[in-house]
Amino acid sequence: MDALNAIMTRRSVRKFTEEPVSEADVSTILHAAMAAPSAFNQQRWRFVVVRDSERLAELSEETPYAGSLAGAAAGIVVCGETADERTPGYWVVECSAATENALLAANALGLGAVWLGVAMYDDRIGNVRGILALPDHISPLAMIALGHPAESRDPAARFDADKVHNETWHDAGSGD
Amino acid sequence: MDALQAIMGRRSIRRYEDRPVEEVKVEALVKAAMAAPSAGNQQSWRFVVVTDRERLDKLADASPFAGLLERAPLAIVICGDVTAEKHQGFWLQDCAAATENMLLAAHALGLGAVWLGFYPVEERVEGVRHICELPDALVPFSIVALGYPSEEKPPADRYNAEYVRRETWG
Repeated sequence: MDALNAIMTRRSVRKFTEEPVSEADVSTILHAAMAAPSAFNQQRWRFVVVRDSERLAELSEETPYAGSLAGAAAGIVVCGETADERTPGYWVVECSAATENALLAANALGLGAVWLGVAMYDDRIGNVRGILALPDHISPLAMIALGHPAESRDPAARFDADKVHNETWHDAGSGD
Repeated sequence: MDALQAIMGRRSIRRYEDRPVEEVKVEALVKAAMAAPSAGNQQSWRFVVVTDRERLDKLADASPFAGLLERAPLAIVICGDVTAEKHQGFWLQDCAAATENMLLAAHALGLGAVWLGFYPVEERVEGVRHICELPDALVPFSIVALGYPSEEKPPADRYNAEYVRRETWG
């Protein structure tokens, strides 16, 4: 799939068929995630791949909005290594870039995926930490539900010219 | 360019040719950024496109890592609108996804780009706020420096099997 096409057509897919996702596809998605940029190239992302359907169901129940994980072929939990930081707190940003790469790779592979937010909510972080037995220095950012899509969604037209200004926010251009 | 190739081949490019980036490509870059996912679809990102030489030079002084803007024909400042949030604190993740989309689109369009971090360093944030006349609601998150590349870098193989666990961390 063409790169710009993959970016513009990616949608959140929450319904999946029962077809499994191959290990090769999971590997490609993880390679894509780790190709993201990071501050001083610290690469503080870590990943837990979940395929056990009981564990997926558990993750889906203990986190609001995560119901789609129960019907997913796999889940990838994107975590950050928070110890020894040169740039405190910035792991959230790096792991977000990695998550976006993973979603785009999934779309390019013909898979469906959705980004389920965990970080910023202490209760969700605690639940996910418990289910995955994450040590204190590994913090979950997001979960990706992954599978073969059972729904087809048109590209979203999110472009909004009012959100783009020239030179300064108070430009006299079309953005105002 | 193939999508996976774009993701795997993207590198931080800091040297550019001395020629402008066409308006149609600038538009494609912000469109790609706005195609990112966001928490509750809140789309908290905002963009300031800078091509004025003097302003680029000022931005170059706003961070110890932004000096290369003195030689870049284009910078796009990505800001978060903290008043647009449905899910508090998620603007960082929204803007990070948008920034990554922009970097990938740049690579696919034959441009070179690098992500310059500004938030959360207070002096960098205030510097950009002043230079780009940002209202209080907008927090400058990153600047993407852009141009036609005058350096070539091979894909970086960052894959590390030790970073992947199965089912649980233990």
